[in-house]
Amino acid sequence: MVKKLLLSLGALSLLFPALSYADDPSAAQLNMGLNALWVMVAAILVLLMQGGFILLESGSTRMKNAGHVAGKTIFTLGLCSLIYWAVGYGFTFGADSSEALNKFIGTGSFFFDPSISAGEGDNYPSTIFFIFQLAFASISLSIAWGGFAERAKLSSYLIFTILFTAVIYPVVAHWIWGGGWLAQDGAQDYAGSTVVHLTGALAAFAATVLLKPRIGKFNKDGSANEILGHNQVFSALSVLLLWVGWFGFNAGSALSVGDGFFGYVAFNTQLGAAGGAVAALLISWLVAGKADITSMLNGALAGLVAITASCAFVAPWAAVVIGLVAGVLVFFSVKFFEKMKVDDPIYALSVHGAAGIWGTLANGIFATQELAEKVGVGQGGLIDTGSWHQLWVQFESVVVCGAYVLAASFLILGVMKLVMGFRVTEEQEIIGLDLSEHGTYGYPEQMKKAQQNL
Amino acid sequence: MNDPVGTQLLTLIRTADDMKTLRGLRDQFHDQMGSLLSEQPVEQFYNHLNDVHDALIQRTIALSEMQMARLGNGSPPVPYAYILFGSGGRKEQTFSSDQDSGLIYRDPEDEFERDEVKRYFEQFAVTIVQSLQQLGYPPCEGNVISNNLDWNHSLTEWQHKLNGWFEDPNWERVRYLLIVADGRCVYGQEELLSALKRHFYSDMLKNPVIVNHMLSNTMRHKVLIGVFGQLLKEQYGEDAGSLDVKYGAYIPMVNSIRLLAIQAELHETSTLARIQELKARGRLTDEDAQAYTVAFKLFLRLRLMTTEREVDAMYGNNGKLASRRLTKELIDELKTALRVGKKLQRQVHRLMGGKM
Repeated sequence: MVKKLLLSLGALSLLFPALSYADDPSAAQLNMGLNALWVMVAAILVLLMQGGFILLESGSTRMKNAGHVAGKTIFTLGLCSLIYWAVGYGFTFGADSSEALNKFIGTGSFFFDPSISAGEGDNYPSTIFFIFQLAFASISLSIAWGGFAERAKLSSYLIFTILFTAVIYPVVAHWIWGGGWLAQDGAQDYAGSTVVHLTGALAAFAATVLLKPRIGKFNKDGSANEILGHNQVFSALSVLLLWVGWFGFNAGSALSVGDGFFGYVAFNTQLGAAGGAVAALLISWLVAGKADITSMLNGALAGLVAITASCAFVAPWAAVVIGLVAGVLVFFSVKFFEKMKVDDPIYALSVHGAAGIWGTLANGIFATQELAEKVGVGQGGLIDTGSWHQLWVQFESVVVCGAYVLAASFLILGVMKLVMGFRVTEEQEIIGLDLSEHGTYGYPEQMKKAQQNL
Repeated sequence: MNDPVGTQLLTLIRTADDMKTLRGLRDQFHDQMGSLLSEQPVEQFYNHLNDVHDALIQRTIALSEMQMARLGNGSPPVPYAYILFGSGGRKEQTFSSDQDSGLIYRDPEDEFERDEVKRYFEQFAVTIVQSLQQLGYPPCEGNVISNNLDWNHSLTEWQHKLNGWFEDPNWERVRYLLIVADGRCVYGQEELLSALKRHFYSDMLKNPVIVNHMLSNTMRHKVLIGVFGQLLKEQYGEDAGSLDVKYGAYIPMVNSIRLLAIQAELHETSTLARIQELKARGRLTDEDAQAYTVAFKLFLRLRLMTTEREVDAMYGNNGKLASRRLTKELIDELKTALRVGKKLQRQVHRLMGGKM
């Protein structure tokens, strides 16, 4: 018996020598491994948020466009990945720029060719960081599609994906996260209320203004019609998917496991989202007399968008306040855009734009000195320090980034509109983009009958 | 009606020989009435308007009787009562009300005549409804109308029907009971409806299921004023910015007062008359009755200002007050009245023992 055991152990040690002779991993290696694991999980969660956008956008629009709306998200995610790999990542995080140029744009790391594992002293492998950042860029892009919905040509999605991923998103991301001039000023945007959400929303705004409202959205006298989405259950599920994905978005932005600070970030995220959902339902009930589901869903998302900038900088009570305010804000913002006769099918302007601005500014009010020092960006806000400095920096970053994105988007989309045409024909819009752009319906059985009636 | 023009019109209606003439008189009358609204108190205006509606309907029924005879169906085999429900029953018809109606006839003494009598009144109701459509009265969307056999019965059948509703009251049947409460005999033998109403009031309200259903039905339409005292207007569509005066102001008050009236077993059908009678019987305080009267008169007036729509030669109305008609003073007046309406709803709710 003992003989047999010794014999097999000997054979095993021949086969797997490391089993008996390998060194224990160093603490730094363990630390790197844990960080890598968490950031990878976070990246996957953020990637999965695209599923949320597919359901959100298709649920909020009509059946005749469902296949197009859902499918194009996957296509543009693919295209965005290639462009981000080729140039987007380099413009954001490339380290070859001179000090003067680096204030505005990064260069280097084009056609990114990472080392296969983390180097000595790295906190995580650059491959995982790339995937995480790519997922963010694709989220910003999907937000922009809100302004395109139900009437833009498929070709315009193709061109805009390339230009947005190459020259719009990377510039703002570099300014705030890539060591650009706003980062040097101490602008606080933990996970991207401005970088991701406001950028996407302003691109959506430019698109929806240039495209003009959908057929039937506004009457001659200026009153709005309600174009109901075809599936409210999709919309609700989408919000849950996004909400869960947001833990990757915000808590993943800690980029480390370390002392567990990412848990605090997640904690504030949950409070902000909750505040948004509750406030929006209540305000719609109080103001319009009916508790509106769409408003409530928008409120939850607005709470998430707003807390994105501030989740690492504020106390829990402030996270609740930021969420509550976002929920109320998004309700009135939707009304405002409708009054301005801006057709915003997915409410991107209000959910990501208005709430993105609020979330970024909220740092200037609620950030605490202690947390700002811990994160290492900027300083405490008005309430904690009594100083207006941080609020001013936040305001500056919103205005400058907003102006850049708005100008670039209007320019790019305006030229596209002139050169190639932006909107489908009236006939195509009425038949639906499923048929006009792809030749088959997303819901063939249901749409067949409608088609016969045309 | 004491003005000579009005009297003359009623005489013309009562002697008109065919539907075309009647339609002409109705169109002419509508054109004249528009200007009178600002000159008369609203309740007088409504009396005037409803007298004319009644006269038109009465003449139509009389002409239909003649047509039945001409077509070889003879004259009515037994006495009958033509009943108006809804706003017609309450004498609150506007320029554009639809037909909510029913028919009660006396049971034939001879059992064998029953089917024949039934057939006569079926045919008769079809004739009346068609003629009224020619006059521009659209049929009731909810199908509460005399040519629907559910609303066309002999007195005994009606009583059986009511018993059925009492014994097994579901939400729908209680709604019918509420409709019957507003019934008014516009033509024929009044006593038939009175007999039915007596049957109606025999201990119906002792059944808590009926009371609860009546209460929830009455509370179903909310007064369109928000917690911040704001008007809850239409948000989307062609009527965006307008206020649904019919279902957000007028109907909630009608329903509340009707419920109080049923509880007090009143036979009045008009809302203002019901309020007066409730006050007289001490069921409403003088102040409340006064406030409800003022508010209701405003809603009556606003109902005449709602957006009119003529569809297929029918007089129609969407019941909504367009935003351009909502002046600053009117909004203030409206808010006060809506708060009164809300208070009434709460009062009724409390009285009927509802839980909120």
